[in-house]
Amino acid sequence: MNIKDGVFQIISNGIDDKDFKVTDSTPLIGDSSVLDSMKLVELCLALEDFAEEKGFEFDWISSQAMSRSRSMFKTAGSLATEFIHQMGVKK
Amino acid sequence: MIVVTGSSRGLGLAICERLQSLELDVFGLARNVSNATFPSMSCDVSSYEEVKKVALAIKKDGKKISGLVNAAGIASMNLAVTTPPNISKNIIETNLLGTIFCSQLIAPLMMRNKHGSIINFSTIAVSLGLKGESVYAASKAGVEGFTRSFAREMADFNINVNCIAPGPIDTSLLNGITPKQIHNIVAQQIIPKQFCPDDICDLVELLFDDRSKSLSGQLLQVGGA
Repeated sequence: MNIKDGVFQIISNGIDDKDFKVTDSTPLIGDSSVLDSMKLVELCLALEDFAEEKGFEFDWISSQAMSRSRSMFKTAGSLATEFIHQMGVKK
Repeated sequence: MIVVTGSSRGLGLAICERLQSLELDVFGLARNVSNATFPSMSCDVSSYEEVKKVALAIKKDGKKISGLVNAAGIASMNLAVTTPPNISKNIIETNLLGTIFCSQLIAPLMMRNKHGSIINFSTIAVSLGLKGESVYAASKAGVEGFTRSFAREMADFNINVNCIAPGPIDTSLLNGITPKQIHNIVAQQIIPKQFCPDDICDLVELLFDDRSKSLSGQLLQVGGA
């Protein structure tokens, strides 16, 4: 499983509808988000653990965390991109 | 394990000693921990990076965190118009930002267990609007606001967040305040009596007891205001 699939799997784990397929455009914040605020924080904790497995520290604190245009949580794709970016920079 | 900030003296130290007497594991944070008689780590709570180091160290250690007491605080009695900017900055950074930094970095350790209690500290000076305490009261009013909102954010994770607002308790924080000034403040409380560190420890003990699980986002004013 590559890193992006790993991130998508972790997102899927937090979605109640087990048939839902996570794609690049799956929204994680805003009105059409598939996660509520509690699930979003749980996702952050799970990604922190995943990053630890991969040997780096995932920083999910951001001034733009809840911004619909610039947040890393905007979509599943943007979150995976940020995760991979931090892995590249910090490893 | 319960993390207590400001653990080297005053209320923070009294709380650590009370929790230890109840055979609870305590982890103290203070700028100077050289005389600590319990596990401690040096930390300036107004430094985000230092608090982050503490959170990482605790996580690495694998200790389960069940509570956080944000007791670190400083006071400076002065009129707002004569308070130097560096003092105002220092008060806000230690009292308000220190509470925020510790809460946001230690709380995730509790969120994993879906259990915990966070206790913040304000002051009766906020409710009474005490003269000569404007900046101090402003920093603590911020702590009260943070407590109420953060309590809602933490409720999903079964973590209670409350705030204790003492009147003038006999600790080093009262240095420079005359007995007459203390009497004048105490006289404005609903129960016009000066309480002691043990009374605050009783409330801390109560908030760590499962019997207070229905309380969150609340302000407990010692002596009443």
